[in-house]
Amino acid sequence: MKKTHIIALIVVAVAFAIILSSLSNTSTYANFSTSAKNPGKTYHVVGKLNKDRDMIYAPEVNANLFTFFMIDNEGKESKVVYNNSKPQDFERAEQIVIVGKMVEDEFIASEILMKCPSKYNGNEQDQNNLSYSNESQ
Amino acid sequence: MEIVYEGESLIYGVFGNLLLAAAFSFALLSFFSFLISIKNPLDVAWKKIARTSFILHSVSVIVIFALLYFLISGRYYEYYYVWQHSSDNLPAQYLFACIWEGQEGSFILWAFWHCILGLFILKQNNEWSAPVIMVVSIVQAFILSMILGVFVGDLKIGSNPFTLLREHPDMANLPFVQLPDYLNRIEDGRGLNPLLQNYWMVIHPPMLFLGFASTLIPFAFAMAALVTKKYTEWVKPALSFTLFAVLSLGTGLLMGAAWAYEALSFGGFWAWDPVENASLVPWITLVAGLHVMFINKSRQKAFAASIILLSASFILVLYSTFLTRSGILGDSSVHSFTDLGLMGQLLFFLIAFIVIAATLIIYHIKKIPGVKEEDPILSREFWLYLGMLILLVSAIQISFSTSIPVINKVFGTNMAPPVEVEAHYNSWQVPIASLILIMMCIAIYLRFKKDDKKRFFKSISLSFFLSLIISIALGIYFVFSTVPMYLLLFASVFAIIANFIYFINKLKAKFKISGATISHIGFALIMLGSLIANAKKDVISENVLNVDLGKDFPNNENIMIRKGDTLSMGSYYVTYTGQRKEGVNVFFTIDYFRYNYERSTLSKVFTLEPFVQLNERMGNVAEPATKHFINYDLYTHVTYAELDKGDDEKDEDFTKMEEVKLSIGDTLSTSRHLLVLSHLNSTQDKESLGLADNDLAVEASFYVIDQFGKSKEMKPMLIIKNNTLLSKTEELDEEGIRIKFLNILPKENQLVFNIQERKSNKRDFIIMKAVLFPYMSLVWAGSFVLVFGLIISIRNRMSSK
Repeated sequence: MKKTHIIALIVVAVAFAIILSSLSNTSTYANFSTSAKNPGKTYHVVGKLNKDRDMIYAPEVNANLFTFFMIDNEGKESKVVYNNSKPQDFERAEQIVIVGKMVEDEFIASEILMKCPSKYNGNEQDQNNLSYSNESQ
Repeated sequence: MEIVYEGESLIYGVFGNLLLAAAFSFALLSFFSFLISIKNPLDVAWKKIARTSFILHSVSVIVIFALLYFLISGRYYEYYYVWQHSSDNLPAQYLFACIWEGQEGSFILWAFWHCILGLFILKQNNEWSAPVIMVVSIVQAFILSMILGVFVGDLKIGSNPFTLLREHPDMANLPFVQLPDYLNRIEDGRGLNPLLQNYWMVIHPPMLFLGFASTLIPFAFAMAALVTKKYTEWVKPALSFTLFAVLSLGTGLLMGAAWAYEALSFGGFWAWDPVENASLVPWITLVAGLHVMFINKSRQKAFAASIILLSASFILVLYSTFLTRSGILGDSSVHSFTDLGLMGQLLFFLIAFIVIAATLIIYHIKKIPGVKEEDPILSREFWLYLGMLILLVSAIQISFSTSIPVINKVFGTNMAPPVEVEAHYNSWQVPIASLILIMMCIAIYLRFKKDDKKRFFKSISLSFFLSLIISIALGIYFVFSTVPMYLLLFASVFAIIANFIYFINKLKAKFKISGATISHIGFALIMLGSLIANAKKDVISENVLNVDLGKDFPNNENIMIRKGDTLSMGSYYVTYTGQRKEGVNVFFTIDYFRYNYERSTLSKVFTLEPFVQLNERMGNVAEPATKHFINYDLYTHVTYAELDKGDDEKDEDFTKMEEVKLSIGDTLSTSRHLLVLSHLNSTQDKESLGLADNDLAVEASFYVIDQFGKSKEMKPMLIIKNNTLLSKTEELDEEGIRIKFLNILPKENQLVFNIQERKSNKRDFIIMKAVLFPYMSLVWAGSFVLVFGLIISIRNRMSSK
């Protein structure tokens, strides 16, 4: 066998290993019930903040503890504990993605991603804010 | 009845659309006439038509660019794009940034760079000009189709930058655009996103798009080589363009990294964000292609490999365009543009070029000549090949993980990105980078063809052992947590030293011929700096009071600091002294002190002012501040703050006004303090208060004593000017006490004051995070060295023609 063939084989093997390892590294999008059935496994859960229940952030007591209630896309609610400071503008998020796992009845999030009203490119609902005067006249 | 609108300047839009049509048509005409002229080399007329069309095309694109700038700077809000990106009070330096904030404008920027590069090649007017510009022209036709904005049946092609506001789909149904004077009713444009009002937004996109544009030229040379069947001759003229592409795309990427580090709250310079990755991958394949071109030149072989790699680089740029502009990344990236519904068209653009390149390569690959012999292990080309393959592995790994949203879309899967993004990429990229760095040393010390074993080992051994000693010393000094980190430490030190010794010994420190070694040193410095800064970063704002929940959930990186308090962080003492509003930004002043042992006091070293931008439209954005030193950077970020309070406190925060009469020596107790009226002074310095001789200014001195017995002095003042009483209120912010000196009652020997106390002494506070990045300066120094080395290489290639 030629050297080039051996090297080519090694490269293919490594590429294959990469794909397998990447697949095992990916998390999955899930809801609270799936997450509760597999405690200790990390999931991405997509949902909305429940604005009717209290968000608790008391930096005087603990600057790295923020808890809130989230409703996932299937309508199930869970308490979420985030061991970090409260993200800027959290209330404004239209949608939240939390990454973490269920521990007993609480979802312990290690990361929070927010979909804000188009933070970086801005568009959509903006027609409503168009500034022009005396529309009705 | 048709509405006659007032005040619109429609002529510019008509002109713009004519130019768009001209630019598009001339690109097509240029492509076809170059194609014909290549098939019929004797027909000079077609070539002339082709060249003229490309010039006219370029002029149109440049004028479109200028026209868009004119409309944006003139605030012609009748045009949707102008209204969307410009505003009345936008500072002049950001007007250019408005052009490329949106998709349409950035397509124009991209096309603009293609024209500049194309005109440069046209001017060279050699045998390669025609086929290369032919490829450029067809790419230009595709790009311009993205901004045509015409309908073919129901199919919309492109999004037009000259669309009128009243005709834009988002606006056309609003009642106000039916008014003849609607234009006067538009008060202001929506303006440039305040987050992007940053000088980086002015320089980073043009550089990055120049990088994207310059990958087209090596690709065009490779395609031209296949079309004209000159399978080997293209390498020499294409080499300096490939170097230029590596330089410009690399600079664009590094500028992006610097922007992320300085102004965005990533807390680092590379976040493995999908869009960062999407532009890094073409750079990696381009670097691989560049190195294979050196094999092409020296050994007259492996031409197919360089053609494939350069084609892949351009196609990966198109892929990155597709990722950022089609909306497929959704929320997974900060860089994405607004989705304009161009996904189909972008996909067509991408697939068209995959098909064109693949067909040409497959058709010609058997005919590409080259020496077919095996390469001995002790030869430079063997290690260049190996390096190229490892770069490919790196590119595949990054592409695969970045493409998860695409894979989900195509296969209907439901994969989420890796949970720990950085760890995921680093687990592959750290060992890969180490191997690449080691190969840089081996390849540069080896000769092409077969080298002598003894000579090679003798020449490299000094660098090897020196590097081993230095990296062991550095390893003991820094202490890293994993084996790959030690490997990267050794590899980058080895690459720096081996290349430096080569530069001194073999190249006799002649800069002109040392582009490669200098670039390699630059790259190795970047790697070394990234390793140390990332692996040894130290969160000094640790909140030691909290219970640590373990490594999975870092819960102690943020710390609360009240206004006026001083906390110990690392070797510093940090004080938060207050917030101040300036325009749309709220700045937080944070002073860093060091303990001075000789005088046993704290002395201020520097002040940082991270800020939060109040952004009604897109939400508040926090921007960190960083202090740079040679051996470390101190990054400071306000992660949470109560903003509504601001500087002007409202009166309702204080207790009601209460008049008290006091004599000298009297003591008054408030809920948290004791106030002692100690004495009375008449101010001597009347001039500075603007008082005449017969006016009077009296200062009452109070001692404000807190529960720990610490006391502060307050001096409210009463001025008697022209027989009227003027009182100056004194306030102690931290203590929350206000005293107003109202009157003097000489008969009773008493003084009248108004004393107020803040209701709740909940002082202004912030939650902050401070991170120390050691040796971050190595990354930037390495960047400059890399850029410098590449510039030398290009100059050397250009002059050796």
